[in-house]
Amino acid sequence: MKRSGRFSAAATILAAVGLPFATLGLWSLADRWFFPGLLPQSWGLRAWSYILTSAGGQVVNALWQSVAVAAVTAAAAVLVALPAARALGLYEFRGKDPLSVLLTLPIIVPPLSVAMGLHLWFIRMGLAETFIGVVAVHLTFCLPYAVFVLWGVFANYNPDFESQARSLGASRPAVWLRVMLPMIMPGIVVAGLFAFLLSWSQYLSTLIIGGGRLITLPVLLFALMGSGDRPVAAAVSLVFVMPAFVALLFSARHLGGRSLAGVR
Amino acid sequence: MDRAETGVDARTRRGTGGMPLAMLLLPALAVTVLLFGGGLALGVLQALGYLPGAGLTRLTGAHFIRVLSDPDFFLSFGITLYVSVVSTLLAAGISVIAALVLDRLAGQYRPVHFIFQLPLTVPHLVIAVAVMFLLAPAGLLARIAVAVGLIQTPAEFPLLVNDRWSVGIILTYVWKEIPFITLMLLAVLRNTGRDLIDVGRTLKASAWQRFRHITLPTLFPALGAASLIVFAYTFGAFEVPYLLGRTHPMTLPVRAYKDYSDIDLMARPEGIATGLLIALVVAAAVVIAQALTRAARRRGIVI
Amino acid sequence: MGSLVLKDLAIHYDRQVVVEDFNLAIGEGEMAALLGPSGAGKTTILKAVAGLLAPTRGDILIDGRAVNTLPPEKRDVVMVFQKPLLFPFMNVAQNIAFGLKMRGDGSERRRTAVSRILELTRLEGLGGRKVHALSGGQQQRVALARALVLEPAVLLMDEPLSNLDANLRQEMRELILSIQSELKITTLFVTHDQSEALMMAQRLALLLGGRLRQAGTPQDLFHRPADPEVARFFGGGNFFKGRLQGGVFECALGRLPVSAASGNGHVRTATIRPEDIQLTLDAAGRPGGLAGRVVRTRFEGTATRAWIECDVHEVMVLTAAGELTLGQEVRLHFPPEKIRVFPEDKASE
Repeated sequence: MKRSGRFSAAATILAAVGLPFATLGLWSLADRWFFPGLLPQSWGLRAWSYILTSAGGQVVNALWQSVAVAAVTAAAAVLVALPAARALGLYEFRGKDPLSVLLTLPIIVPPLSVAMGLHLWFIRMGLAETFIGVVAVHLTFCLPYAVFVLWGVFANYNPDFESQARSLGASRPAVWLRVMLPMIMPGIVVAGLFAFLLSWSQYLSTLIIGGGRLITLPVLLFALMGSGDRPVAAAVSLVFVMPAFVALLFSARHLGGRSLAGVR
Repeated sequence: MDRAETGVDARTRRGTGGMPLAMLLLPALAVTVLLFGGGLALGVLQALGYLPGAGLTRLTGAHFIRVLSDPDFFLSFGITLYVSVVSTLLAAGISVIAALVLDRLAGQYRPVHFIFQLPLTVPHLVIAVAVMFLLAPAGLLARIAVAVGLIQTPAEFPLLVNDRWSVGIILTYVWKEIPFITLMLLAVLRNTGRDLIDVGRTLKASAWQRFRHITLPTLFPALGAASLIVFAYTFGAFEVPYLLGRTHPMTLPVRAYKDYSDIDLMARPEGIATGLLIALVVAAAVVIAQALTRAARRRGIVI
Repeated sequence: MGSLVLKDLAIHYDRQVVVEDFNLAIGEGEMAALLGPSGAGKTTILKAVAGLLAPTRGDILIDGRAVNTLPPEKRDVVMVFQKPLLFPFMNVAQNIAFGLKMRGDGSERRRTAVSRILELTRLEGLGGRKVHALSGGQQQRVALARALVLEPAVLLMDEPLSNLDANLRQEMRELILSIQSELKITTLFVTHDQSEALMMAQRLALLLGGRLRQAGTPQDLFHRPADPEVARFFGGGNFFKGRLQGGVFECALGRLPVSAASGNGHVRTATIRPEDIQLTLDAAGRPGGLAGRVVRTRFEGTATRAWIECDVHEVMVLTAAGELTLGQEVRLHFPPEKIRVFPEDKASE
């Protein structure tokens, strides 16, 4: 490709990706911004100080709630997916095809179809409006991604390393801990990251199962959009994408370029 | 080569590291069957009018019939299908180009590759909010239009959110899904694509022929799978059309949730029925896509 | 059909010299091998000829015409890669017909050409198969057929046998040779396996560290290596430094009569291949030669490799003579015509 072509391709990508964030950034720093001003008439940190201090720490609470739900969901997803992915990646067995379809089916079926059905059951079991209930419904949709990522990892994993370690005198738990785990660690991190981000952006299933009692960031953001305070909504939106930046920086630093392929 | 061979070796071996296969599969299977399968099954029961709490234990198809006999349902179906098909096709088309461009950029402009991945990790909701602030009648784009003298008042700015053509919704989806599809394609291009292109060059294929006869068929399985996932997501997603769509006709997911959360508890089964119909359409799309691929394969059109 | 000439070829990659001062001429219909250890730059040269990378300097001439500026698809050259690289979305016949289709041949012509080449490569009846349903050897043959069907002026093959196991390699080697002798397509192939190169090639070029060390017939390189490194590459041993004086090479082992004539008085290196040394068991049986003692042996099947200590020097011998025991007294005879005195010895001058 010619130099000018490369440059314009790069510039297009930068502009297209940057525009939404620039818009949100501008609005979060606007004190007064009447039409048709191209830039705010007066700048200020009102929105930021509002979300960080006042409102009873509402935003901060929602932030922690979101982090907690996503972290627990991600950990559970990896833990449950790991053995299944090992079975799928390393062995051929009868019924493998239908089983893998079943395990990955939640990727395409919309969460709302399932969350609505689960709600009544969760009410009966006392899981509705609870942390566990919300994690459970998130897990339903994060698990297939974790299975999928780790399946790929195990498909390229050579179990002969484990036999080698055992023949060198390692016990079975030692083999898992000191051979398998270090070898698949990058995959575990990616799978966890997938699940975390997916849970992080769940809105409707949280609302249905959480019943408005469990306020995560997206639930709060929706309420704020209704109130019409644009600077505050913009600032909360930016808080909402923070883990995305962190995750991406982390993956770029530790996992190499394209490990996030497949995240949604 | 080595890797493939060891993989085959491992597969023919029967040992499972001390645990029976069923034990390995059980946790994931339990979660999926109980939560996912259970959710759907309970949904079906409720949509069929089985609400023992409210004293309703007789199964009836009345809710489905009521949903399907509402002409508005088909308006909703149409707008939902329109949004997801257009979003998917646009995103897929642009992704093919983007993948080829990024593949050419290769090692250069590393920050660009990094920034390109950013939308992957950003929640749909955030982008919907940004698109709202960008495209609304008093949004940033309208202000730019005023600044360059195209319009004078917000009313003159074309309606791009909550609009007839769902421009805002589609734009949000396209922005969000392009990196997803592109990265799937890039992985294919990097794994086998370059070698096969070299083979094509020495076998006298011109640039266009290489694209048509090698690149496209190589990309097709990944492109198809990624597009199907995008279609399924956009067909069943709530947040974006709720924020950026019109109130009438609303998309199916918005409609399903509206009914489900209605004060009138009797509307709830209809909401659930709508939710199940969404799942049905998505499942049907997957089946049809697979059948089409198989037929095309038989005729030698694609792989 | 065509000739291939590489003139003063230099290929640099990221400022690193991969190939320098490379010259090679391959005649029409010849089968030539580019031999060298891995990392010597063999594949790089092949890719440059195919047009997949541009040489830094020098010319690539096909039938006397410089093709440097032509893209690969415009060169009358086809390359077979180390891996089969079959298009996974096409069946066997479609793979083979690919180049013909790109060239614009009609379907009837394609069908005839494909069925002929299927027969030639012994793939009859497999045209409709999916490529992943083929064995490794079959895949490699499809890759070969896909290239041959275009009847290029020059055929390039990058380690075409390296992915096959030993007995399959033998079979494929014979197949390539018989097809080549039938079609007479000028062929340049790359290999790191010296015996493969010696067996298959009519012309051989040895590449060491990006430079051409010697080109010639397999016999030239094997029996008349240009320098000790070439000799060592072909399994030579026994290098002695000494002075050539009137048909006698004076070195630490003593005075060895040689047939080399020129170079009187200069310090030279001489070598003799281990199998060219005659070893006699009975010290009294045959007069002359060098007395020595067996210090190490290794049985290699058809022959035994033995290290013989003569005075303080060790000489490596490959001999079919019975069983040797350690410490045994033997005699070594050096046929004068088998001793190669290298024409020049840069290192010592």
